[in-house]
Amino acid sequence: MQAFRPAVGLSLRGYWITWGVLLVFTVVMLWADTASIPRLAFVVFMIAAMLTKASIIGANFMHLRHERVGIVLTVVVGLLVTATVLFVLIAPDAARIHEMVNRFGPR
Amino acid sequence: MTQPATPSLDRWAGGVCPYDAGWRKVMMWWFIVTDGLLFAGFIASYGYARVLAFHWPDQSDVFSLKYIALMTFVLITSSATMASAVRAAADGRRAEALRYVVLTTVGGAVFLGMQAYEWSHLIGEGAKLSSNPWGDASFGAYFFLLTGFHGTHVLTGVIVLTSTAIRLATNRSTKDGVEMAGLYWHFVDLVWVFIFTLFYLL
Repeated sequence: MQAFRPAVGLSLRGYWITWGVLLVFTVVMLWADTASIPRLAFVVFMIAAMLTKASIIGANFMHLRHERVGIVLTVVVGLLVTATVLFVLIAPDAARIHEMVNRFGPR
Repeated sequence: MTQPATPSLDRWAGGVCPYDAGWRKVMMWWFIVTDGLLFAGFIASYGYARVLAFHWPDQSDVFSLKYIALMTFVLITSSATMASAVRAAADGRRAEALRYVVLTTVGGAVFLGMQAYEWSHLIGEGAKLSSNPWGDASFGAYFFLLTGFHGTHVLTGVIVLTSTAIRLATNRSTKDGVEMAGLYWHFVDLVWVFIFTLFYLL
């Protein structure tokens, strides 16, 4: 039977530090939701915080940082690039329809 | 005379096991990628509806963000207990792994209960798939679609974790089994990070 790379990960303490970091991010995001921040800065901050939280979960809890580069690239590129392309391709269409309805009124 | 080169492990060589992981882990990752793309499709579709909408409801008028934050806290904590269970199982501490898996299952069940309460509350206020009292008609549809689909995953996770706990208690679970259940559970937490930010906060 072939021996695979042994399952490694953080120590228990490391996992609970990760939990603390995720909680801090969540609290800061909730604070930002109530603060008076310009809309664009708010959106950029929220998306950055969301992606950081997702990366922390993937790297530490799901052990991606300890996996072989091939599996990391397959998962991250597969998910992130496809999801980005999906959104980038359809969002401008929604904005265009929104603008047309604004200009010409609803059907 | 030169020494023969020491055979080194080329991590990019591919071959019979390019990912250096067992088939169960690789298949779980493939499942996570495909399921993640399904959620990506839903979220992209939600983004489309959101950009198109003329009057998207202000979330703070509809939801209690403190309540949603509590749900998030429960899910993040259950992810930490699950990671601890995987660590304990990998180190051969079966009783400790069982304790953490049970805690994770309880966390999942609490999250589901909270979500059921949130649903019943909003349905009571008039939220439907086709309409709602707060604004754009698609708001209700995307709320039920996104949280419902995620909740179904949580329910599946609770069932998988219960099975894992029973197998651990009866000495039939391996550390790989706990690790696979953990991967799935963290994925459920990961998806919630996106739903929490994009649906409840933005």
